[in-house]
Amino acid sequence: MFATERMNIIRGYLKEHKRLEVHTISELLNVSEVTVRRDLERLENDGFLQRIHGGAVPMEIETVGIDIGQTQDDRSAELRRQHDEIARIACLMIRDGDVVALLSGAINQALARCLSRRSRITVLTNDIMIAMEIGTQSGNTAVLLGGSIARDEPALYGSLTLSNLRNYFVNRLFIELDGVTDQLQLTVRSQEKADLIREALSCAEETVGLVEALSFGRNAFYRLGPATTVHKFITSPLASDEYKSRLFESGLQVFTSVNTFEGDT
Amino acid sequence: MAQNLLELNQIGKRLNNNFALENISLDLRQGEVHFITGENGSGKSALMKIISGRFLPDSGSISIDGQRVVIGSINEARRLGIVHQIQDVELFENLSVAENVFFGHLRRGMGIFLNGLRLSRRCQCLFDHLGVDLNPTVPVSTLGYAQKLIVSACATFVAKGRIVIFDEPTAGMGEKEREVFLRIVSGLRRRGAGIFYISHRLEEIPLIGDRLTVMQQGRINGHLESVDADRHTVIKMMIGHNCPERYPRLATTSGPTVLQVEHLSSAPALVDVSLRLNQGEILGLTGLMGSGRTRLANCLFGVTRMDGGIIRLGNDKVEFRHPADALAHGIAMIPEDRARNAIFDRQDAMSNLVSAALERFNTPAGLNPHYMEELSNEYLKSFGIVPQSLYGLINLFSGGNQQKIVIARWMMSMARIFIMDEPTRGIDAAARVDIYNGMNDLVSKGASILLISSDTEELLGMCDRILVLAGGSIAAEFSRQNASKEKILDSSTVT
Repeated sequence: MFATERMNIIRGYLKEHKRLEVHTISELLNVSEVTVRRDLERLENDGFLQRIHGGAVPMEIETVGIDIGQTQDDRSAELRRQHDEIARIACLMIRDGDVVALLSGAINQALARCLSRRSRITVLTNDIMIAMEIGTQSGNTAVLLGGSIARDEPALYGSLTLSNLRNYFVNRLFIELDGVTDQLQLTVRSQEKADLIREALSCAEETVGLVEALSFGRNAFYRLGPATTVHKFITSPLASDEYKSRLFESGLQVFTSVNTFEGDT
Repeated sequence: MAQNLLELNQIGKRLNNNFALENISLDLRQGEVHFITGENGSGKSALMKIISGRFLPDSGSISIDGQRVVIGSINEARRLGIVHQIQDVELFENLSVAENVFFGHLRRGMGIFLNGLRLSRRCQCLFDHLGVDLNPTVPVSTLGYAQKLIVSACATFVAKGRIVIFDEPTAGMGEKEREVFLRIVSGLRRRGAGIFYISHRLEEIPLIGDRLTVMQQGRINGHLESVDADRHTVIKMMIGHNCPERYPRLATTSGPTVLQVEHLSSAPALVDVSLRLNQGEILGLTGLMGSGRTRLANCLFGVTRMDGGIIRLGNDKVEFRHPADALAHGIAMIPEDRARNAIFDRQDAMSNLVSAALERFNTPAGLNPHYMEELSNEYLKSFGIVPQSLYGLINLFSGGNQQKIVIARWMMSMARIFIMDEPTRGIDAAARVDIYNGMNDLVSKGASILLISSDTEELLGMCDRILVLAGGSIAAEFSRQNASKEKILDSSTVT
């Protein structure tokens, strides 16, 4: 069996089961565990999955402190919480009357929900869920970019999206980064996402990069540029100390979503 | 040209991961006062410690009278005629003034049994000569801080050094003591000693300086062969390049005044200080050593009694006789010396965390351990404190994580006004990032912060307004928009 065939099977299996164990796949495909691990490694580098102890999970649902014994519900609840916290800080950067762009992703979807507390916000997005959410908020306006719908997320990409985007200029652009590599390069998990973000950078006064704690030290393969491509980072306080200090030392603003104080909001 | 008394050649010393002295070449001549200045943390004191044998340099060489020397210890430095008066007062509190002044000579000349009377008489002679108004027979413990500084300076005077180093000698002195002190320095110079004089007080430069060197971030940033430069030239040399904006500060809108101080005085450090702190605001407070900033924090927290003035919380006049009074009014203090004043040593993280909020866990059956664990876990996690272990001993946490625990402790007590005295000094960058974000968390939820710091960049990055203390009163106030390093330094060096 060729490597590409194996990888397609692993992809399909992971999409269906949302989790795989190395020994199951090894039995299923009748190849050694070493081979499976190598395949998983390649798929991880492609940004398709994340390896965990004894197996792998799809990229979308990984979280801090994950392990194979934890149920998927726990994991996604944990990750949703992280997204909400990051979105809460992002929301504090937006003032009433601002024009912002929220590009597709789970954190920006959470941010869109937070914006119900603000008014007169104009939101430019390529994410169908975000557009629908903002559309229901009476005080705010959504502008949905055109394009072709992606297979794996409710978002629009392609040349139409890019040419639509060129018509606008926003105060603040919020992008989700899938990986910040060891060399402090910013990466995302698909070519079209990288293209869209690169185009959007020139349409915004200020760019804010939203990063899950576990995306530090990871390469999602499609490169956006060095860390200085964005003006501010927002991540979880659970992000590794190494990256917090390296970004701070290189003169970048790092916001962590500390939410400890119980005083009134 | 006369031979240099002391020469430093390309001295280098790595002090920690973030700071090193680099390529320092400096000389000192006989009978001169070489003034050295620079911002806090620019490496002045560290350099002097190399000369006086407290640190060994990693590279470079030192010569005295043209002879290359290695100064391996304080004793060796003394043998070479180097006397270093360090920043803190080092006196024997229970010995008399005279014994302290002549302590270095007791061992050498006079044997173990001191002839008290003769010593006092000799000391009185010296005091008359220098114009010092102190009684040689009283124990040092009865003296005030400024007087102790004078005793220290006298001890340095009689030590007969050829190379004398004074590190911030006049910080904390009044006008009278400074006059006496400058006489001591002139006396030393007349005797032919070479003097390194470290000070922030730029107005002292033309009074006693012969040459001037300015340090900045571990390097020599400027050098003047005469001291007739105006203060702005010197300040420019002190600042050097500005670092980019890297402080994560969320914009907040501040509310009504929550704390108001009117005409506070506390002798001798504070004279007529007035300030107000608004809800949701980070108010910066800076000033040089001896400007009274820690004293001000202590007054606001009820540690030190005030001699006069009023503190108002909201509209109510309050009086704090004890820190407990301040705590009861929702004031929290993150003190400068964490190890001594904030941490319960050898206790676990949870005990350190809950100690200010015990009433929250109180039940008729005692403290509720489950709630305590649950809430503590929540705090450790949401503040990114690592390791996330409730029962780990506090000593095993890094300095940064200890500091986060101290801040989280006061968050848990639901204080509303946070006085933070140098909260990020000596703390790693990752913890600083979280502490700054913790400050954002506080002010975005309506608490207020008085941030006391000598890191001007930190103040510019984090504060809504900045107050500068000089000589015990507020010398200037700047808003976030119009503050600059240069303005802050300028107003803090005025006395």
